[in-house]
Amino acid sequence: MNTEEQEAIFRRWLNDHLRLMLKLVRASAATPEDQDDLFQEVLVNVWSSIRAFRGEAKETTWIYRVAFNTTMAWRRGEWRRRKGHERFLKLDTSPQAQPSHVDSPPEREIVERLYAAIRQLPKVDASLALMHLDGLSYQEMAEVLGISENYIGVKLNRIRKQLADQLKGANDEL
Amino acid sequence: MNFEELQKAWQSQGHGPQLALDANLLLKEVRRNKWHFEVMLFWRDTREVGVAAGLTVLFLFWGIRDRVWSLNWLALACLWVGSFMLVDRWRQRRKQPVTNDPLRSCIEASLIQVNHQIWLLKNVFWWYLLPLATGAGVFIISLAWEIPIEVRVSRGELVGFLLGSYALVCGLSFWLVYWLNQLAVRKHLEPRRQELESLLAGLDQ
Repeated sequence: MNTEEQEAIFRRWLNDHLRLMLKLVRASAATPEDQDDLFQEVLVNVWSSIRAFRGEAKETTWIYRVAFNTTMAWRRGEWRRRKGHERFLKLDTSPQAQPSHVDSPPEREIVERLYAAIRQLPKVDASLALMHLDGLSYQEMAEVLGISENYIGVKLNRIRKQLADQLKGANDEL
Repeated sequence: MNFEELQKAWQSQGHGPQLALDANLLLKEVRRNKWHFEVMLFWRDTREVGVAAGLTVLFLFWGIRDRVWSLNWLALACLWVGSFMLVDRWRQRRKQPVTNDPLRSCIEASLIQVNHQIWLLKNVFWWYLLPLATGAGVFIISLAWEIPIEVRVSRGELVGFLLGSYALVCGLSFWLVYWLNQLAVRKHLEPRRQELESLLAGLDQ
């Protein structure tokens, strides 16, 4: 694969999966600075991974893998410590900056609380919660995490309970 | 609200943050960051292995030119340290975690890497400090033996003085290097290992 092809795929992925990457970043880092750092780290790893992409896995599965592996290895402030780094993206992740895709303020509030609740979960559980909320199948989740499908169901029941506890007041039941 | 409704609310969110994305600039920066990271790794390796290689050549050259055979020991020690680092880096690079692997494989690979790093630093005395100390010690003894001395000082006193000074300087500086390495293990590597182990346990539970 030459650089032009790599670049073309990167641009397409950015266009198609930006929302997914941002969701994973927001669920893993709380402050806008950290989110910006992590997002750039994810992008660098996505870029680097393109040459290894043979189309055997779905693009979303691939991006989940890269993003999760990046968030697990990520250290707060690492990018900021690196020299010569120029910011190319300013993320304004405050609730006020939410566009109108999220219909109503109550729903927006729920999504914000969900992000906060997911950040409280252990990292592996947070990964599963994110994929579950995004509607991935058990098989896809198993492919991303490298564990058996049987585990997924058991784990998801527990995670739903944990999320329910943390979102108590906002939801009657999960 | 049940889980399906929650899921619907989750999936209905847009990009979330307001962002003006300049794809060209982003691509340029991603490439630049990647390049910067690779350059940083290259210079780190070059610095460590390069210093050892440079010293090897220097000591060999001096040893041959001035016919000081003991400098060959020092050159040998530097050669050993440089070769060890080079081979180790090469072997570890092949085992590096791949970010597009499943999470479990990536965590396992990271754990292997961290464990190896801990092993390296915990054993820094054996592969780094001891060979250098031995090479330098042989050189000091031979120097003390061959150096022309005045009548007032006996050969034994000179050897004792030089060896004592060497032991003091060498002991202090090596102790500092060893202490810094163990500090890095305690402060950075052990917590990272625990973190990775708990992630792995999280996948198994």
